[in-house]
Parts: sequence; C-alpha cells; structure tokens
Amino acid sequence: MARSLGTWTLALDGSASAEKSLIGGKAWSLARMRELGLQVPPAFVVTTRACTEYLRQGAEPAELAAELAAGIAWLEAQTGRRFGGGSQPLLVSVRSGAAISMPGMMDTVLNLGIDDATEAALAAECGDPAFAKDTHRRFLELYATIVLRGTAPELDRAATPAQWREQIATAAGAMIPATAVEQLQAAVRAVFESWNSRRAKRYRQHNNIPDDIGTAVTVQAMVFGNLDAHSGTGVLFTRNPLDGSPAPYGEYLPRAQGEDVVSGKFTPKPLDEMNKTVPDALAGLLAAARVLEAEHGDVQDIEFTVQQSKLWLLQSRAAKRAAPAALRIAVDLVDEKRIDIATALTRVTGEQLAALMNPRLADSDNGGKPPLASGEAACPGVGIGVVVTDSDEAERRAAAGEDVVLARPTTSPEDLHGMIAAKAIITEQGGSTSHAAVVSRSLGRPCVVGCGENALSQLKGRIVTVCGKEGRVHEGALPVIKPDESSDPRLAQFMQWKRAADEQEERKGTP
Amino acid sequence: MATPDSHLVLHGLAIKKHADAEAVSKLIGLPVDRVKTALADAVKRGRAVEAQGRYILAPMARMSLDGEYSKYYSDLRANADFVAAYEGFERVNVELKTLITDWQTMDVAGKRVPNDHSNEAHDQRVIDRLGEMHERADKLFARLAAGLPRLQIYRDHLLAALEKAEDGAIEWVSDARIDSYHTVWFELHEELLRLMGRTRTE
Repeated sequence: MARSLGTWTLALDGSASAEKSLIGGKAWSLARMRELGLQVPPAFVVTTRACTEYLRQGAEPAELAAELAAGIAWLEAQTGRRFGGGSQPLLVSVRSGAAISMPGMMDTVLNLGIDDATEAALAAECGDPAFAKDTHRRFLELYATIVLRGTAPELDRAATPAQWREQIATAAGAMIPATAVEQLQAAVRAVFESWNSRRAKRYRQHNNIPDDIGTAVTVQAMVFGNLDAHSGTGVLFTRNPLDGSPAPYGEYLPRAQGEDVVSGKFTPKPLDEMNKTVPDALAGLLAAARVLEAEHGDVQDIEFTVQQSKLWLLQSRAAKRAAPAALRIAVDLVDEKRIDIATALTRVTGEQLAALMNPRLADSDNGGKPPLASGEAACPGVGIGVVVTDSDEAERRAAAGEDVVLARPTTSPEDLHGMIAAKAIITEQGGSTSHAAVVSRSLGRPCVVGCGENALSQLKGRIVTVCGKEGRVHEGALPVIKPDESSDPRLAQFMQWKRAADEQEERKGTP
Repeated sequence: MATPDSHLVLHGLAIKKHADAEAVSKLIGLPVDRVKTALADAVKRGRAVEAQGRYILAPMARMSLDGEYSKYYSDLRANADFVAAYEGFERVNVELKTLITDWQTMDVAGKRVPNDHSNEAHDQRVIDRLGEMHERADKLFARLAAGLPRLQIYRDHLLAALEKAEDGAIEWVSDARIDSYHTVWFELHEELLRLMGRTRTE
C-alpha cells in the first residue's frame, strides 16, 4: 500500500502495507481504497515519525525538504502535471491525519501550487479564467487562515493576486512564501504545530492518548471536474439517506469543481445525468459504491470527481442519515446478511426511535384548508394550545394546567421560561438561526419562525395546531396520530430485536 | 460615571430572568451580600418581584432601566477599542449562529434534518469548529473585558462550557436550560446590546 521515498515519507502506490500509526487514519483509508482496486488521486504521506522528530528537536528532520521534493516528483510522474509551473500545473491538497482523529488539528489546505503563472496555465487549460482566478483567491484565503493563523480579510474579487497577498500580509502580520515549494514546507510545518494546539492537547489528555505519537501529513494531487464537457463532480449515497430506500442516490454537477457543489451556485442534477456525458464513470462509480458499502457494512457518502471521463474517488465515509433512513438501513442490512443484529442495534439511537414515534398530523394538509399562518419550519413536531403572546402569561397559564402556544415577534433570553412552558413556539421575524429556532430545538418544542410582521398577534386567545415539520399554524385542535410498531413492520422487527437484547442483558445482570 | 448597585442588580435581572441573588452576583461581579441588599431594596420600591428566592424585573422598572444605560456607559460608548471589539463580536455572532444551527440540524443529501447526534463525526467536527471560533473570539472577549472588567465572567463561562462540550458533555453546546455555550453567548450579546444602546437584529 505504500513505498518509501526516504526516511520520513511514503508514496501510496498500492504496494506493501503501512501501519495506520505511521501514516494516519486519512491516508490509511486512501490506501485501503487503492487496495480495493478503486481510483483515488495519487498521494504521498509525511509520516507520524517525522512529526515526532519535529516535536522532539523543534525543527524538521534535515532530509525532509528533499523527501518532499521526491514526493512531489512522484505525483508529477503519476499525473503528468508539473508543480509550480508548466502548461498543466499540479495543485495539491495538504491535510493532517493522526492514527486517531482528534480536534484542533490543521484544516485542509486546497489548491496549493497556484501562483500567477500557474493560474494563467490553468485558465488556458480549462478555458475558464474566472475559475482559475477564483481558485487562486480561495487558496490565499485558506492559506492565510489555516497556515498563517490570521483572520482572513475579505478579499476583493476584482483585485489582483498581488494586492490580495499584500492585504493578507497586512492583516496576518506575516508574508505568504513566494514559491509553491516553500508554501508546501510551511503547510507541513503548520500540521506538525497543530499537534500542540489547545484543543488537541486537551483531547489527548481527556482520552488518555499519548502526546508523542504525532500526526501524519497527506499531500494529494488535486483533480479537476471542470476541464471539459466530460468532467464534473458530485456525491453519491449508497442508499437514500432520507428514507433509506436501497437505490443509490446522489447529485452530479457537470463541468464543476468541488466547491461549486457547496456554494449552491449551480443546480446539481441526478446521477443518471452522467449517462449522457460520462457513462463509463457512472458504471465505475456504482461498482465502487457496492464495494465500499460491503467493505464498511454501512451506507456510505462518497465524494467523487470525473476528470476528462476518468473517475476519481475523493472520500468515502459513513453517511449522515435521517431517522427513518437509520431504521430502514439497519433492518435491511441485517436482512441482506451484511451486519448482525447486535450491530444493527447500535445503528439506531434512542433519540432516533423517539423521533420515529413523534406524533404527527393525521392529515398534514388539513383537507386543503389554508393555515392561519405559515413560516420557516424550525423544529419538527406538533403542538396544540391557546395562543399567548407574553412569556410570563404563558408560564402562568401552563402552570395552571392549560396547553399554550407562545407567539412572539422574536424571542430573547427573557422568554426562556415561557418557551419551556409552551407546547409550541411561533415567531413573526427571524429565520432558522434565530434565537427562537435555536432554543426551541434545544428544548424539543415544535417551532415555526418568520411568519411575517403582525401575522401572529391577532391569533391571541385562539386554539391552534402548530406543525413544526411543515412550518404551518392551523386553526383549532387537529387530530394527531402517534406512530407505533403496528404501523411499520421494520420498526416492529427492530423493537423485537431490542427487547430480546435487553432481556438477555438483564439475565446476564442477575446472578 | 460609577454604576450604582441598584442599577447593576436590575441590569443582571434583565439579562438573567428568574435568577437568584447568587446568580446575579456571579453575573455582575458584586459580592452576594451587596446584591441581596440591593435586591431587597428593589423589591421594596416595586422595581423587582421576588418569588421563592428568584427575582424578575417589574414591568415599569424595565422601562426606566433601559433609559439608564446611556448615563452609566457613555465613556464605554466613546471607547474606540471597546466599540471595535463589540463590532467584531457582532461579526463572529453571525458565525456562531450558523454553527449552532449546524449543531442542532444536519444536512442530509441537501435537506436539513434535526441532528439526533447519531453521527459522531458530524458532532466532533462542529465542536472542533466551535473551539476554533472560540479561540478567535477570545481575543475580542479580552478587549471587551479590558474596557469593562466585569465582562471577564462571560469569558470564563464560555471557556468552561466549551471545555465541557469538548470533553463529551455535548449538552453544553446549546442546551437552553443550563449555562451552555449558546446560553452564555446570548447573554453576553444581550449585555453588549444594552451597554452600547443597540437593538438586536434577527
């Protein structure tokens, strides 16, 4: 899985295996993907041993600079691109990675290797000068925050890179090194230094992790999803992470780079879209999805890029999933004999089970009758009560046994007691990050925010039903249903396993 | 102008409703005996209401309190470094709100769903981001406390909440019932808005 480039670095070339303790968790999973026959962009690793040596003597091992150069030369040979020059520039990412993942470690620096000359080369290569310049700007911002550890100034998109560098130098009180090679060396050093950040040190102390095991640094070639019509980027879930249905689910952005997916600048297309331009990459992706799901025994979230028809896998990790998906996937994987029951039981948390059994409206549309008010759904659930517009009154009437719904223009800490007392919270102003939204979620109260100015004050004294899932306030007390095992065979199956396991646990407990 | 105890205790109640004398004392940095005396006096004069050892502001007292800040904090409002630090706080506040939302909800295939804390990697990542943000914000807290020493208490409480969350007690991120990171942050925001005579924008 790795080949030595000297004392301190290893190329992940798919040959002889390397210990996770030496190359760190992130490089290890990249190497593992290669072992499974999957295509990952070429990478080399500065080992944890180099970090330990740096921390011991307070400086990099003397040979490290030459070995970094050898690593870069290896990446150049693998990709046919050149670092810091040429018509097809090589850009790399630099990321930290200890054997055990921990907080406080350096964030990933992307696009290292871009400068004025390579920006021009990249612009010509992808035919998109704006993209090349934006890549340059994003690199400088990341470098300033992550490596120079300054607060990045807002870089004016219209300014020149020279002006950007000057702006950063003023704000951070430090210069960005002139050459890509020096930038790489500084980024590697910043990873080593992050080993002793406040957060990392506390984490190790709290979790009894030795202070001297060090972190590795992975340097990986960047791939480009925007070079031509046969390039693109996307994400695939091996199963639907919202409802858990077994078909792969994902999005593809033709002719786009990874950041574009996050920025929301473009509307992604369903994966099938790949059939039009890159059918082989889609076939390879679906095959890789099966391999990775089997390897991990769990639904995977896979990031990928297609560069000139060639598929590259960037990352695969256990997918975040909504409660219904967690249940369905856990039960299905047992049925498919991928995992055992004990594992399935760890895949659905108590909180998720509670969410699945949350009361909901019998008719979420209320027979088509328009709601009294509607806004942004901030916290799901159904709450029914009389509308009260003052937090003290809400507390008083709730204490007397009444069900109340608290309606406020906005909320502040002064309203906390009223929010705790209420069955639901509705506000006129504010969005999903407002105080009302944050506090109601922390209290588990159904909440609708931003219903509009004066939309709620006239509801005072009326009985309403708040649906925090759809973001609606309905007139009167609507019928609710409480889902249980009889309504969902998978839930019934899961609960049966859970009871059996609990009983067994109990028997073990009694002498 | 020196701020009298009578103003400070009512200010404390404006930030922390239903607080007892102990909690008010901690928040405003006055010995608990003096807080008790001032609170008893406020109750006598109808400016505060006591129920089972906890206090709230009387409605009229709230209005007169709001009018007092410009008198006691005119120096602070003219202190350029304090004002700059406050404005920095407002900028980080935008980040904090996004972060808390990412804590409470998570993005699943482009859809926001409640974070049921089933994905440890997601939770760790958010707490790590919170720690990173805190380290930057702490420089602002230091400048705020340099302008008004009693603000140091917020700095201490924020760090305490952060470290509990980092050690795995995740309710210390945003639980509204305890002095979680978000609770203290929000109180500090309320405090600063009052000192500076600004109003909250949602």
